[in-house]
Order: sequence, then structure tokens, then C-alpha cells
Amino acid sequence: MIITMRNTETREISAKIDELHEERGEAALGRVLTLLVSTNEASLEHDLEVANNASREHPCRVIAIAPSSRNTADEERDGTTHVTFLDGEIRFGSDAGAGEIIVLRPRGGLVHHPDTLVIPLLVPDAPVVAWWPNEAPANPSEDLLGAMAHNRITDAINSSNPIRTMNDLRRNRSSKNVDLSWTRLTVWRAMLASMLDQPPHLPVTGVRLAGPKDYLPLNLLAAWLRLRLNAPVTIEDDPDAKALTGVYLTRDDGVLSLERPSTDAGVCVISVPGQSPQAVSAPARTPEECLSEELGRLYPDDIYTEVIAQGWEFIHPQR
Amino acid sequence: MTNASDSWLNPLRDPRDLRLPRIAGPCSIVIFGVTGDLSRKKLLPAIYDLANRGLLPPSFGLTGFARRDWNEEQFKDFVKENVQARCRTPFREATWRQLADGIRFVQGTFDDPKAFERLSDTVAELDRSRGTRGNHAFYMSVPPRAFPQVSRQLADCGLARSNEGAWRRVIIEKPFGHNLASAKELDRVVSEVFDPSSVFRIDHYLGKETVQNILALRFANSMYEPIWNANYVDHVQITMAEDIGVAGRAGYYDGIGAARDVIQNHLLQLMALTAMEEPVSFSASDLTAEKTKVLSAIRLPKDLAAHTARGQYAAGWQGSHEVVGYLDEKGIDPASTTETYAAIRLDVDTRRWAGVPFYLRTGKRLGKRVTEIAVVFKPAPHLPFESTATKELGKNAIVIRVQPDEGVTMRFGAKVPGGTSMEVRDVSMDFGYGRSFTEASPEAYERLILDVLLGDPPLFPTTEEVNLSWNILDPIEEFWSTLGQPQPYRSGTWGPQEAVEMLARDSHRWRMP
Repeated sequence: MIITMRNTETREISAKIDELHEERGEAALGRVLTLLVSTNEASLEHDLEVANNASREHPCRVIAIAPSSRNTADEERDGTTHVTFLDGEIRFGSDAGAGEIIVLRPRGGLVHHPDTLVIPLLVPDAPVVAWWPNEAPANPSEDLLGAMAHNRITDAINSSNPIRTMNDLRRNRSSKNVDLSWTRLTVWRAMLASMLDQPPHLPVTGVRLAGPKDYLPLNLLAAWLRLRLNAPVTIEDDPDAKALTGVYLTRDDGVLSLERPSTDAGVCVISVPGQSPQAVSAPARTPEECLSEELGRLYPDDIYTEVIAQGWEFIHPQR
Repeated sequence: MTNASDSWLNPLRDPRDLRLPRIAGPCSIVIFGVTGDLSRKKLLPAIYDLANRGLLPPSFGLTGFARRDWNEEQFKDFVKENVQARCRTPFREATWRQLADGIRFVQGTFDDPKAFERLSDTVAELDRSRGTRGNHAFYMSVPPRAFPQVSRQLADCGLARSNEGAWRRVIIEKPFGHNLASAKELDRVVSEVFDPSSVFRIDHYLGKETVQNILALRFANSMYEPIWNANYVDHVQITMAEDIGVAGRAGYYDGIGAARDVIQNHLLQLMALTAMEEPVSFSASDLTAEKTKVLSAIRLPKDLAAHTARGQYAAGWQGSHEVVGYLDEKGIDPASTTETYAAIRLDVDTRRWAGVPFYLRTGKRLGKRVTEIAVVFKPAPHLPFESTATKELGKNAIVIRVQPDEGVTMRFGAKVPGGTSMEVRDVSMDFGYGRSFTEASPEAYERLILDVLLGDPPLFPTTEEVNLSWNILDPIEEFWSTLGQPQPYRSGTWGPQEAVEMLARDSHRWRMP
């Protein structure tokens, strides 16, 4: 169910939600958190779909803020409608995953006060998570929405200049911030860690990674490996690749490798000296899986903070 | 997994890095009785789901051992069919293909040494072609009477012991014997062949999220522990009710009965988790220490006739189906005295629980399928209301629902609105696990199989726990065996009159779950 509320106020939206809860015999108490989505009209539907799927695992109230450019001049001239600075939309039931969705489209001066706009609509006494699916603010902790959030999720890879965005995020890092480029690596990191779990436990003397140039997850993985293994890391450009294609760890007994030649096929081949290569299904992670992992993990990620603080410097000493 | 004696630390692992999932190391699992119900409905789908969640190693093998005259392709088709029918996560062809590459089939019977030689060759072949590195788990999804034979055969073909650095583990399902003597005998047979630390007894209840949530509820919060004792708790009721009859399990069930089938393992484990003291840590040994302590403090009632009850379901209409009585079920001796309903009172001789009865009940063909733990509190010592005001007020209770609709309910009194006088009535407040957390919580078997492959034992009952449980149940079974026919109860009701009277003697009433 989608209820559109033009020229509305937060008080009306809040009352409408209470009314719907009562009508449907639901309680807002089951919602474990509020997810704030700071986005734009163009990517709104896509972002809501991702949030919907993630909310199936973590029932939450999703509040999406997409500034509106609707021209209200005609309505104002007409004089029959009371024109406000806000259009809203409430989605329930099958249109809203396991929680409810509120879409806010502020106009004019209201655009600059998103925090006081959402405060009355937050789930009481529950964590607030802010997510920027596209352009990330240079300093999420000081962004008006970010400042009130317990956790801040950016996705620099979708910004207009990923590397520059990452440099901003690095400069303004906080243990409550995380970028989804890091979340995309969890499966790779887990496979690499379990590869080294197996004997012989020899030190790794060199690391090589292959993938597209300036690809953020690849840079983060390189930084993590450099930091943890304390071995030289080289990055090999693979111009045709869409994502990371291989990681090669050199030890005295040979090279251990993890390769995913085609992101679409989603099959990883693991080779270890003295063993026949094994294939394992490892498709690229979907945005839903990544967001879901973040919502399930609300504690600070110290490892990530170390990687962007120290590891990154090793990989990009000149910048 | 790294060896404890090995001082090497994986530089890529960090205790603060909680994102990294626990992935099992290279290994294989051999399932005996792979064509059975449990394997088809639970084990095979759980293994696929683990693979699909990326928790199985790339070097993984799955070997089925059964009598059927199948080749490997036929067996793979059988596995695929059952996985597709019951997997929890979406079926993906890519995951299936990787898994199928490591699937093997060994045809044979348990008395055929040649079959076990073939098994040994198959496992060795997996080590070579799949890199399973000599790590193998044997899942005994077979009747307990086959355990000795299978264990012996595994020992004879050299599969029970491993080389240095590799492990062999054996997984056994309940029942762990039918009394203390047989449990000890079973244990002797298995531990002759396998090292006791590599024997994993599966009680799938312990793998359920809600059961683990009992520990969170009790020990992560500050508001329950202060009242979790004899000063406030009146009594505790632990119920596991099934709506089905013996259906298909007649051969096993007759002569075993409800108490041995359910109370000895599931209900006593739930009771132990409810009643135990706070463990020093959640490691296997600390958790077991507390459970063992409380199990050893359980005292049976002196008058077993007054404080236990048993029943047998009679014909009736359950839900909307007409059903036959136990004695008319196919495969059941018409003169059987096996109970399909059992209720017992137990006391715990500790300061925390002195004088608090624990009532355990289980049965088949009861009102509905439900498992719950209800902690019922004493009435407030003084009620500053007129007696008419609290006429409708019952006892406060915290109910932990284990299944279905996992969650916690609290019952307490609230003022009835309006009216000219004060009136207090029971209301309930509800927490639904599925509403606040993931809709897709893993199946108990996924967790337990992964724990076996990782060698992580906290959720498996130890020999000592099993023995203590039989110690509690044996005198009751002995007493019951002198009684003759259990009291019949109409199918679809909440059990025999005897059980109602048993609680009435203590001036309590069974909850209606």
C-alpha cells in the first residue's frame, strides 16, 4: 500500500502511521532501528528496493529523504490548496519489506534542515543508521543526518569520483563510519583467512592483486593485506575486469591464489601448492547483502578504521 | 582451525574482526543411513544451505553410504531432489555444481567389510582429488543398535583414527540408550573406537536460536536474574506438545515412550538451561560444568504415583481430522503399555530453587504443536486493593516460546479502563524473535553440522549429562513399568486427567499454551 501525501507536515505523517498501525493490528515496537536514506529522486526507487530487502532481515523503519524540485507556483497562485514545504509518502505491507517506508520530499529552505525534519519520525529508543547510497558527504559525522546517526554507511564507489570521496572519508574517519566497498570484501577476506589457516604456516613474503585500475574494493583489500601480512603488495591493472579478479600470496612453498576470472560466472578457483585447484561458488555480493551485513553489525569496525588510516598510506604513499 | 598446541597465529585473523564468518577447514562428511528421513529432510538441505552461505570449504566432500544399488549419478540426483525440495536458501545451480563435484556414493551393508574398504578408498580418493586432508566426520543417522557394528567396521578399516594434524569425528543422534546401563554401554562401544572428545551427540533442540536466547535473556539482562529464584518463582512448567501421532516411527516408538523420547534429552536440557547458575564463560567446558551441576542437583519426588502422570492417546478428532488411538496405529502392539504422554515433577536441591517445583510434560496428539518454558511467579505478598479488584488477576509469568513463533511473552496485571471501581486483569506483552530479527534464522542442523566441522562443542550434550539424565528418568520408568495400562486421553486434548490431578495436588494448573 502506498499513501501519497502532498503538501503535508511531519505531524500528519506521524499520525497517519499510528493510524495504520492500529488499523492493521501491528506494533511499531518490533522495529529494531531507523534507517535514514539520503538520496535523490533518480535513484530513490532502486535504493528503496535495496533497503526493503535488507529490512527483511532487520525489520526497520526506512525514512528516505529526496529533495523535491516540484514547482508549486501554480498551486500557490490557485490558492485553493495549502502549500507546505513537504511532500510525503508512506509505504506499508507488500510495498515495504518487513517494516514501513516513509519518503520525504522537502522543498525550499526545509532542504537544509533534514535532521529536525526526521526527528519526530524516528523509532523511539532504537539505533539510527544513516546511509548515502550515492554521493557521500565529505564528513559524514558532521552532516546533519549523520550527526544524529549511531552508524553511518557510505558507498563511495557510486559517487562521481570514488577515489577522491574515499580520501575525504579517510580524512574524516570515525569508528562509526563504514563504506560499503569494505563490506563487498568480506567474502574474499574470509576465503583468504581460511586459506592461511591450513598448514604449513609459513610467512607470506609477497602479495599481488589483479583488477581494474582505481577500483576501491581492490585498494582496500591491498591495504588490509599489506597491514596484516606486512609484506610488499603490488597491484596489477586488468583493464577488462569489472571487479577484483585475483589475489596471489607468495610463500616459500609456492604461490597460493584465489581467482575469480569472471564476476558474472561467480566461481572462485583456489590453488594451494601441492593440492589440486578447487572451485567454489562466490558470486559478487549484491547491495542488499552488503546493507544487510551492515545493519546486522552495529558495533564499530576497528579493522576498517585501521585499514583506511594506516594500510591505505602504505598502498598510496605519494598521495 | 589451528591447533591449540600450535603457537602460530593467522595474521589475517583478528578477534576484533567480527565480520569474518567461521568457515570450516577442508573436510568431508560421511552419512550412514543417507536415504533415511532425517537425512532427506534435514541433513542434506542443511549441508546445501551451509554451502550456499559460503560456510563450507572449497575442499569439501559428501559421501553417502546406503544399501540401495545406486551409482554416483543416481545418488547425486537423489541429493539434488531433496535439497531442492527443502533448502532454506535459494537453490543456485552454481553452488550445487560445486557441491556435487565432491559427492560420492558407497553401496553396501553394515556387515560387509568390503563395503567399508570401498568407503575407506573413497575417503582417501577425496583426500587426493578434493584436498580434504584426512579430516572426516561420520554421521550415524542409523538406529542405535547399528552403532557398535558401524563403529567396529570403521575401526577395522582404519577410518576411526587419524594421522597427525587431521581429525576424525563421529556424530550420533538421540536416543542415547534407553536407560543408564544401555547409555553407558553405547558410550563404551563408541569410545572404544573414537576418542571421547571426537564424539558429538546431537540434540537438535540445543541448536535452535531461541534455546540459545535463553542464555541471552538470563545472563545479558539485569531485570530477570534478581527474580530468577525461589523468592519470586512459584513454579516452572516446561512443555513440548506434538499434534501428530507416532506416524511412521511406530517401530522405534513402541516400548520407548514419551518420557525416554523427549524428557530425557530435550526437556531436561531445557530445564538445565533455565535452572543453571551463570557459567564463567560460554565455552563448552564452562557451560557443561553448570548444566552438569544443576542436573546432579535434581531430586525426584518421593511419591512417584502422586507426582508423575502418563497417558496414551485414544481415538478422536484432532483439529479437523479423525484419528485412531495409539493401540490401533499400524505397527503398534494392541496391548502396548507404552505412554504417549508423560508429565513429571522435579525439584532442584539448591538454594536458588528450594521449594520450586519444575513440571515437565510432553505428549503426542495434543492440542497443538508447541514447545515453551513458563516461569510462573508468586503472587505479590500484599495487594492493596479490595479483594474483588484482583479476582481476575492470575500469576505473573515469563514464557519463553521455543517453537513455533519463537519469542518471549510476559504476563502481568493491568487496570481495566473506565468503570467505577478498580479492576485488575491479566494482559500480555510480547516479543517475537522473527519480528525483531531476521526472518531467515538458520536451521538448527546447519548450526550443529558446522559446529562439528569446526570442532566447536558447546551445544552438544556430554556423556555425563546424558548419564545424569538417565539417572533422573530410570526410577520413574521402573515405577511406571509396574503400573500396566496408561490412562487414555482423547486425541486433540491436553492429556489425561491424571496429569491435571497431579498439578491440582500442588494447587497448580497446567498452562494452556
